[in-house]
Amino acid sequence: MNSLYLPHLAQITGIKQETQDIKTFKLALLDLSAGSFFNYRPGQFVEFSVIGEGEAPFCLSNSPTRMPKGSIECSVKKIGKLTQALHDLDIGDRVGIRGPYGNGFPVEQLKNKNLLFIAGGIGLAPLRSLINYCLDKRTEFKGITILNGARTPKDLVYQDEYEHWRKAKDTQLHLTVDCQEENWACMVGVVPKILETLAPTCEDSVAILCGPPVMIKYTLPVLLKLGFCETAIITTMEMKMKCGLGKCGRCNIGPLYICKDGPVFNYAQVKNFIH
Amino acid sequence: MLRIAQKEELQKMIDGFLADYEVIGPRELPGKGIFYQPITNAQDLYLGERFAIEPVKKFFFRPSEYLFEGGLKEGSEFLEGIPLAQNKRMIIGVRPCEARGLALLDKIFNTEYKDEAYVSLREKTILVGLSCQAPGKDCFCTSIGGSPVQARGMDALIFSAGSKYVIEIITDKGKDIFDTCPKEPDKEEIKAWESLKEKSNAALRKKIKIPESLDNIFESGYWGKVSSACISCGVCTYLCPTCHCFDLVDEERKKLRCYDGCAFSDFTLEASGGNPRPTKMERYRQRVFHKFDYFKKNFGEHLCVGCGRCIRHCPVKMNIAEIVDQAPV
Ligand SMILES: Cc1cc2nc3c(=O)[nH]c(=O)nc-3n(C[C@H](O)[C@H](O)[C@H](O)COP(=O)(O)OP(=O)(O)OC[C@H]3O[C@@H](n4cnc5c(N)ncnc54)[C@H](O)[C@@H]3O)c2cc1C
Ligand code: SF4
Ligand code: FES
Repeated sequence: MNSLYLPHLAQITGIKQETQDIKTFKLALLDLSAGSFFNYRPGQFVEFSVIGEGEAPFCLSNSPTRMPKGSIECSVKKIGKLTQALHDLDIGDRVGIRGPYGNGFPVEQLKNKNLLFIAGGIGLAPLRSLINYCLDKRTEFKGITILNGARTPKDLVYQDEYEHWRKAKDTQLHLTVDCQEENWACMVGVVPKILETLAPTCEDSVAILCGPPVMIKYTLPVLLKLGFCETAIITTMEMKMKCGLGKCGRCNIGPLYICKDGPVFNYAQVKNFIH
Repeated sequence: MLRIAQKEELQKMIDGFLADYEVIGPRELPGKGIFYQPITNAQDLYLGERFAIEPVKKFFFRPSEYLFEGGLKEGSEFLEGIPLAQNKRMIIGVRPCEARGLALLDKIFNTEYKDEAYVSLREKTILVGLSCQAPGKDCFCTSIGGSPVQARGMDALIFSAGSKYVIEIITDKGKDIFDTCPKEPDKEEIKAWESLKEKSNAALRKKIKIPESLDNIFESGYWGKVSSACISCGVCTYLCPTCHCFDLVDEERKKLRCYDGCAFSDFTLEASGGNPRPTKMERYRQRVFHKFDYFKKNFGEHLCVGCGRCIRHCPVKMNIAEIVDQAPV
């Protein structure tokens, strides 16, 4: 049988409503012998399916250091057919999981560096995995700065973890929203603008960003202006996917396949393809 | 290793193969053309010079196939793979460009992540090729690393030589099946075979030049110009021996894999409504770059075998060979 595309069965063990249209699912694989699956790295993704409804890629949104063996978390924004079907599920329901796929973040390159995380909206999902990973291995990294933006305060994901991030040693969290709302004590303004005013140091630093294409587009020039070199800017790329394995042919940007060569790239690798 | 057989002798051998193998080969369907189909008798085979309309890839990378079943059984979910094909097959009369196409598809499907459906069909199939002596006017295999007499990807290659066939044996599998054909060609016959090969190569007239890299013309207005006639029908992708893009589709209880192609606008259409290849310019450019630039960067050769199918069957006469040849690098 062709087991390449055959998912492992997993059970939903927890659901958290993050925002109006984003839920975080906690999943436990039913077949614990599914071997290599459990050794994922921050930045990798899975193909997550509801049998009969469809399948789509979602990044593993929590650090492997925080998940029991055989468990994962994915945060899903409701936007189309499959994501709607996922949002309709309850605890105890069974789903399919294939993976983990993709390269993940270059953790070795980040060691002994100042880390600047820049996220917009659901883009915080893959970064949360890496942030928690770094916090769990705090001594291996230098200063951590997190700049997280969303449209409104209600659209901020992982709100219950902010306290923990703020309290971590040598770690700063900046929150910003595009539209002011009542009781909002943090910043107002789009991510690139806020980044300009924060002006974090590029010295010994790596910037890791993930968010909607417009955020990426306007944030990149700011980082370059701040002095970050092209290989010290790391981002994840997104294209429609099906196989996740470099075979179905749809996810390439230039010669790079996002599913197989990515989804994490440095700016030097992809600058010709970001418009 | 060479063998030689009278044409009737080869027919007898093929009838013998039918006892042990599912035998597939080109057949002439009146009013339709040449199609690869299973045969029940050696007489069914068409071993003339005309080409099959569809490439032989469909016997390995299926136009559509179920990958697994899943759903509810006795109240609990299950997932079950579809068993792989078991029977031994032989395909006779495959053209050199198509066999080479399979060797290229191997680079996609037979990797660290094995596509077992494809790989098992490859492993269970013996490929016996037929050299081309009258290449078509749109064939350009010699410009892209192939030739009308090339044996890459085959187990044996046969050459029509008057009332006889010369059989070039390439692999052990090929040696096994032609065990029953002990006769080797004599000096004269070998000489005749060699000059036949030269003549076949010379008969291929269309030569194109392929730029070393297309890097610096990605943004060129050329792609808009050359793609303007394309109607995004996708025929070129379906008939291409090397195109391998597919979709995974959920039916109620089954996962279906079916051909898809970069010509279609929804190929890269994202849930957000965004599309990185919104017009046929971006899509056609992707097709050309994938075949003549990206694949070479990733796998060391072009993803095209020069069979000319996309040229012969394009409803608006797009000609990828000329488009590449004239690219303003
Ligand atoms: C590497 C990667 C990681 C991702 N991580 C997350 C995440 O953590 N959280 C999240 O909410 N979203 C994530 N996405 C986007 C998510 O995959 C799409 O929102 C999802 O595919 C939409 O599916 P749908 O069936 O609801 O939409 P439909 O429009 O009905 O799409 C049909 C199918 O097309 C494919 N598809 C459509 N849009 C996309 C897309 N943008 N990316 C990939 N495949 C697509 C999927 O197979 C999908 O099921 C990620 C995408 C990629 C490529
Ligand atoms: S066959 Fe011709 S018209 Fe159809 S998609 Fe290919 S190039 Fe375009
Ligand atoms: S998702 Fe199929 S090639 Fe990348």
